[in-house]
Amino acid sequence: MDFDVVVLGTGLSESVAAAALSKAGYKVAHVDTNQYYGGDEASLTVEELAEWADARASDDPSSDYLANQRARYTSITRSQTIPPQSRQYSVSLAPSIVPSIGPHIDSLIASGVSRYGQFKLLEKVAVYDRPGYVQSVPGSKEDVFKSKALSLLDKRRLMRFLMFAAGDFEGKKELEGKEQTPFVQYLQDVFSLKDQATSAIAYALAFCTSAEEPTLPAMQRIRQYLRSAGRYGASPFLVGHYGGLGETAQGFCRTSAVKGGTYILGRRVVSVESSPDDSTKDEKSTSTSHSYSVKLIDFDERLTAKVLVSSPDYVPTSLGGNTSTSKQSAYAVARCVAIIDKPLVFTPSEVPEDTPSTDTDGPTDGPEDEPSEKPEPPSYDVDTALLVFPPGCLQNGSTTTAVHALVTGEGSMSAPRGRYIVNISLSLSESTLSSSAEELLRPYLEAALSLTAPPSSSSVTSPATSLFSLFYIHHTPAAVSSAPPSSSSSVIVTPPSRPHLPTIADEATEHAEAMFWTAVKQLKAAGVQRTVPKEEAEEGDASVEKAGTEDTSPDIDSFWPPLDAVEDETSDEW
Amino acid sequence: MHGVKRVRYSREALAAQKERELAKLKEFQGLTAEVLDRKKRKDHGRESFDLTTRLLHVNPEFYTIWNYRRLILLDGVFPTSTPTQTNEILSDDLSLTTTLLKQHPKVYWIWNHRQWCLRQVPDGPTDTDPNGWRQSYWNKELFVVEKMLEVDPRNFHAWNYRRHVLDNMPVKRTELSELAYTKRKIEANFSNFSAWHQRSKVLTSLWSAGKLDKPKSIEEELDLVKNAMYTDPGDQSVWIYHRWLISLGDSKNVVDREILSIDELLDEQPDSKWCMESLVFYKRLLLRKYSESLTDEERWKLGSDCEGLLAKLQRVDPDRKQRYIDLSGHSV
Repeated sequence: MDFDVVVLGTGLSESVAAAALSKAGYKVAHVDTNQYYGGDEASLTVEELAEWADARASDDPSSDYLANQRARYTSITRSQTIPPQSRQYSVSLAPSIVPSIGPHIDSLIASGVSRYGQFKLLEKVAVYDRPGYVQSVPGSKEDVFKSKALSLLDKRRLMRFLMFAAGDFEGKKELEGKEQTPFVQYLQDVFSLKDQATSAIAYALAFCTSAEEPTLPAMQRIRQYLRSAGRYGASPFLVGHYGGLGETAQGFCRTSAVKGGTYILGRRVVSVESSPDDSTKDEKSTSTSHSYSVKLIDFDERLTAKVLVSSPDYVPTSLGGNTSTSKQSAYAVARCVAIIDKPLVFTPSEVPEDTPSTDTDGPTDGPEDEPSEKPEPPSYDVDTALLVFPPGCLQNGSTTTAVHALVTGEGSMSAPRGRYIVNISLSLSESTLSSSAEELLRPYLEAALSLTAPPSSSSVTSPATSLFSLFYIHHTPAAVSSAPPSSSSSVIVTPPSRPHLPTIADEATEHAEAMFWTAVKQLKAAGVQRTVPKEEAEEGDASVEKAGTEDTSPDIDSFWPPLDAVEDETSDEW
Repeated sequence: MHGVKRVRYSREALAAQKERELAKLKEFQGLTAEVLDRKKRKDHGRESFDLTTRLLHVNPEFYTIWNYRRLILLDGVFPTSTPTQTNEILSDDLSLTTTLLKQHPKVYWIWNHRQWCLRQVPDGPTDTDPNGWRQSYWNKELFVVEKMLEVDPRNFHAWNYRRHVLDNMPVKRTELSELAYTKRKIEANFSNFSAWHQRSKVLTSLWSAGKLDKPKSIEEELDLVKNAMYTDPGDQSVWIYHRWLISLGDSKNVVDREILSIDELLDEQPDSKWCMESLVFYKRLLLRKYSESLTDEERWKLGSDCEGLLAKLQRVDPDRKQRYIDLSGHSV
């Protein structure tokens, strides 16, 4: 079967690229060996998650793809029992919080995929302090003003920093020359900030994973998040319903299908081959174009196309894919997924003893008392929130690396009522380690669980235990080099995205756009015509004479074409 | 909407939207002609009433139609209704204005109609409770004005209306609860002169009624305002409130202590115009009010401090340079 592009793997980058290519008028075939969409960013039910884990932990190599996946996910351990209502969970293999300003949101809106999905605003970010308590993170003027934990001088310095970070700091004297300074040190030196403030800023505002991370990228991230606050609500971050990125990837696949893309799930890829075409009639052409053909199991016809876009785990070694000896991890992350039956409670450490203040109804106000004004103890329960463990905050934890734990409950449609998914990530500094994922992350899971037994509750409650838990290490590949990048005939392989909560969505989307343009370039060079809507064809430059083998459709001028239907702009809820 | 990127729509999509709008426009014009015709004929029946509802949904700024609606109610509906029915109708109309206000929060005619409805509320529900209906409407008014202040907490019209509502309610809310309300608003965003102003009015009233201990209360307020000062030294309303608090007291110690705090803040934020100006003001206050308790040397130092600050202010705030020159020329 002949297509313009074959895409292997339905991970986020591949799905975004497939949608853009379909919308641009190319014929796309999109394949995934798994029965579900999303690839390494998929959202899975608990049963699917257990199968996923078992397939990668076992030794039986039933396909090249699985062999590659086995090297990608190591140190896998899981609890054996599956909790009831297992189908009502959507666990993300790539937990993510999406900033309200950034390439991912832009693409969601411009592609129209935002209309398929819904999002919940992240409720809170807090820093773990000690069993049962957290420190709230002041990220706005309002937070700083209200905080009881900061001294007056602290408040001024923190505000000075936040104002600086939200503005155009490139080239300013406070930053010049210090762009590569370790960020925590920079905060101490230039803004005279103390431990607690630097910790909160570095790990809960900039989301650094270590104190050594350089200043400039951290500042850029903070600025993006500060500017994102307020767009859809107080928090800068959105969490996708039904497990986040997996659902989003599926949305992009749906868009691609609507524009004519062909979808094939659940088939093993038997072989991928490339063969050079006959030399073109145009003597000026210096590169030979290729044709790719893909054989799927139980599929008679091979899929053929001029361009192949692929996630690294599908690229065979013959075309430059990773051999097991050359596997080099760029990043490794230890992960824990746990399901619990009590909410986390973010009780702030700085809550003062109950003192009667003049600002509440006192007992002197007899008959004029209104029942609605009686102060109630505030609830610190959270449904969808982020817990940050700075380096060294746990006795058995890492002393150099911060850990981020995303908890999602019913509000994000990822768990049934009364249940919560805790998704913990620890960046590993070396890709080879002696400790197992479970050993590394158990202390963090227990610390998180200590927050389910709030000290303020009237009855003594014990912390929740997990109904289900899974531990593993996720290795992100180093950039795969297939044929030299200058050649226009190489497989377009998805570049790795660092699996870091606040950045993965934007990074994956930027990669998708780069892949899209490379694919378009290859397609043009190969003379592939795209199907354009009448309007665009009319606007195209019809006067240019082009040789027979070249694409005569007008140039693509943007990543996403205009949307097809004007939406009523009354819906402003996510 | 702020921050929403303009999405590109295809030519077809835009053309389709334009057609939909044209159809709506035609409907509106037809409806308007019909309603105005009925008004001319003084048709005050039920059907006319319903037509005004439809028209007002499309264009609530069309005040002629509001007038017409009131005429219908006064002439055609109320005379033949029981108090309970009248109350029901007014309740529905208030709901209508609430719905419209959500989309058009600043249209005078909607507010106007609201006020009119409130004035029409009959005694009820019973003879022993003639204010029952009114009370529940005034409670709702408070709720509506609170919603408005949530959307725009610095809308001084809304604060005015709030005071009007609080005054008119048959059963008053406590001033302590009002104090708590201003605190909430200030915590949400202290760059809010109206909230501080309201707070000052409520506190004054509570002090004169003996419900709060004045000195203790002033201390707490100074602490609150200091937190705001340090968080954002550029915020004008905070300094003005501070000045009011100082003016209430009689203690030199307090003024000395506050000067010290502001000095520390100035150290941290050397370009803060408000710090400098306030220091000048308070130091001059010391010279004026507590002159007898100062030594000659202290008096001299305060004077020279002020000169120094005023000179700096001329550089930091050149727009008001002349004022600072003026101030340094005049005696305390």
